[in-house]
Amino acid sequence: MTKQVDYSLKHRSEPLFRVSKRNGLEKWKIALLYVGAILVALTFGAILLLCLKVNPFKFYLDTFTLGLIGNAIPLKIISNFINSFVPLLITSLGLSLAFKMKFWNIGGEGQFIIGALVAASIGIGLGDKVNGFFLVILMCLLGGASAGIYGLITAVFKVKFGTNETLLTLMFNYIALYLLIFFGQTKAGWNILLDPNSDRPMFVQIPEAAKMWSFSVGGLTINTTLIIGIAIVVLLFFYYKKTKQGYEIAVVGDSHNTAKYAGMNVSKIILRTVFLSAFIVGLAGAFKVASSSFRLSEAITDDVGWTGIVVAWLAQLNPFGILLVSFLLAVLQFGITSSSASYSNLDANFADLLQGIILFVVLAVHFLINYKIVVNKTKINAKKMAELKAKGFEIIDLTISKNDKKSEIVSDESTALENSEVSEKTEALKITDAEGGNE
Amino acid sequence: MKKRILVAILVVAMVASLAVVFAGCDNAPKTFNPDGVFKIGAIYINSQNDNSGYTYAHHTAIKKAMANLYLDEDRLAIVDNVPEEDDAVNAAIDTLVGQGCDLIIGISFGYINAMNNKAKEYPNVLFTHATGYMSNDTNFNNYFGRIYQARYLAGIAAGLKSLEIKNNKIGYVSAYTTAYAETASGINAFAMGAIAANPDAKVYVKKLGSWGNETMEKSLAEALIQEGCGVISQHCDSAQPQIAAQNAEVFGCGYNSDMTAQAPDAHLTATVWHWDVYYQKAILTAMGGMENFMEKMGKDYYAGLKEGLVGVSPLSKNCAAGTDKAIEAVSKLILSGEWDVFSGVKLSVDAQGKITKTNADLKDCNGNVIVEAGGKSVDDSVIKSTMNYLIEGVIGDYDIKE
Repeated sequence: MTKQVDYSLKHRSEPLFRVSKRNGLEKWKIALLYVGAILVALTFGAILLLCLKVNPFKFYLDTFTLGLIGNAIPLKIISNFINSFVPLLITSLGLSLAFKMKFWNIGGEGQFIIGALVAASIGIGLGDKVNGFFLVILMCLLGGASAGIYGLITAVFKVKFGTNETLLTLMFNYIALYLLIFFGQTKAGWNILLDPNSDRPMFVQIPEAAKMWSFSVGGLTINTTLIIGIAIVVLLFFYYKKTKQGYEIAVVGDSHNTAKYAGMNVSKIILRTVFLSAFIVGLAGAFKVASSSFRLSEAITDDVGWTGIVVAWLAQLNPFGILLVSFLLAVLQFGITSSSASYSNLDANFADLLQGIILFVVLAVHFLINYKIVVNKTKINAKKMAELKAKGFEIIDLTISKNDKKSEIVSDESTALENSEVSEKTEALKITDAEGGNE
Repeated sequence: MKKRILVAILVVAMVASLAVVFAGCDNAPKTFNPDGVFKIGAIYINSQNDNSGYTYAHHTAIKKAMANLYLDEDRLAIVDNVPEEDDAVNAAIDTLVGQGCDLIIGISFGYINAMNNKAKEYPNVLFTHATGYMSNDTNFNNYFGRIYQARYLAGIAAGLKSLEIKNNKIGYVSAYTTAYAETASGINAFAMGAIAANPDAKVYVKKLGSWGNETMEKSLAEALIQEGCGVISQHCDSAQPQIAAQNAEVFGCGYNSDMTAQAPDAHLTATVWHWDVYYQKAILTAMGGMENFMEKMGKDYYAGLKEGLVGVSPLSKNCAAGTDKAIEAVSKLILSGEWDVFSGVKLSVDAQGKITKTNADLKDCNGNVIVEAGGKSVDDSVIKSTMNYLIEGVIGDYDIKE
């Protein structure tokens, strides 16, 4: 029996490097890598700042302290920061719920708008008829529920007709936005959302009774929704870890078939979870109207529906991770606004730029933590083939002579392929051939 | 588990850092400007690094006014890309006041409520708001101008060009139409100027639905060009309509800044604001002490061609022959106070600068008489924002009565 060596694999399909899964990197190393990634991004930003003749140390100091150093009214600045942080936090939490189930809810912007729109309508419509305490609760609950139903529509389509939820939730953003613009620009007797005292169309402020109560700590006004936001973090954490519903979300996220096999009602779980996801996002919108801006605006979302997606994924859908990541991103955005105020050549776009660089590097690190890149060193060249032939090996292409089961396939030390791996690879090769593609 | 601990530690650290910051803070001091250096704060709707359009016009004007007053650039703090949303505007105002600004300039209409509220909150800071209508007795005014006078002049340039290219269709990309007196008066004045130079001219309007949206501005201009318009005017933030005109080898009139640089072979002349006229006066007055500011500047500062607040940019090589003479002749009429745009006296002007006045009713596009023949100008309908009609000769692509 002649000894054969399979040449097909190396000859035609091995790329220069391949990506394989990596397991078991220590937690502290992971943390270090992320911190390193952020430092690399900040260094890159510092180079850009130097090009603009801005002192990067002073700039970063001002950014990460929110410009509080030397500020005449620091407590107000902190209140404002909380106002911009809470919507991002709550929206990210809401979105993560759907993502956990691998339902790509990118309709956060639209759900936020619906929540705000409904809350404002109730606040203005019932402002003088209902007790303030109940009014605020009604605004928030109905705002959230309307957004929940708005999100539920996309889920119903997904469950009943198998539509692509990414596309549908995306389009629903624009429906909500243009609905808001319609109300914002249509002067008419029925339109209670507009200010009757303005000749130009302008949203009216919600009445005093509809404003959410806030509390004060040592002169610092704190938005009540901050506490609610942190409470949602904790609740979601236990929802995922300790409840049956949380477990169901995880199973459906892994595989619909597994969930069905386990006797779960997949449709029901999807509908329930998407409603809850959109409800929380809508709640963020209602909170925004009731607790800080007190007035609708076409720019009311502050893009949290988009930024929330990034936050949820960077935090790997962990509620406490979302608290941390949304805090850091809010610091970055808010801080750069105040630190760039005193530089005439730096505009607020720099925040987006720096944020983009950070995300890019962090995602690269995220990839490297989960996967490793293996460079292939095993390649048979013409010289090696001649050598093998001289030693009495027959060079075969397994994909062609695959019926020849009797011949023993060996590999010499230079190819370093174990027998088992060869047969495995051959299997793989058959599949790729059948599909007519290359590896 | 370790990861959870790590997250917990970081959360604690972030709360602790906030607490440290709180501890170091006192309540707001009584004067925001302890070192006595006068500082200006500006809030922009777009980026300060824009190179054309509305924000650019304000930014360059503030810098020009400061240079004329020998003020260093570091006395200007800017928060830009601020949307018309109260939280965002409040935060921008607090940032600027916190950095010691004495005069806060807000350039976009939607800042109106936040500025009004913050003016009460910070009685030691002056607030001045472009295009708004709110004010108070002590530290908050608004400013705007008779831009329609300059629009009329640009309309003359467009009308003469339409005669030269023998195409009576003139396009107009407008942020809004009759919902805002600002846009309605702009369309009307421009159309009247064009008709004064070319009696057969028709102005076709397309509505953007926002003050600026570069993609839409471009596609609306392209749609107007496809419908056969030979001159494209605009009331929107960017130079995209002019660039579209340049690409389609037609002509155009820009807005806010001289857009000849963006469309060298298309642009005729732009309707421009000389905001520096206001800013220089306002900054100088504010530096003299805030007591006299309201009295000297007025609650509603409203100026026009006469004060130099509005005008047209230098005529480009693309203008039809005689445009300079015609514009000069009409300017003289307006400057002397003898005639104004929205009156019962209709002008007709030719390339030699010869003006013929006729008494005629000023009618809206539905035939209603706004001003009877020979009547006085309804300038106040622009100032008081009650102009909600388009005049004869304007054609919209949808229901014009919004």
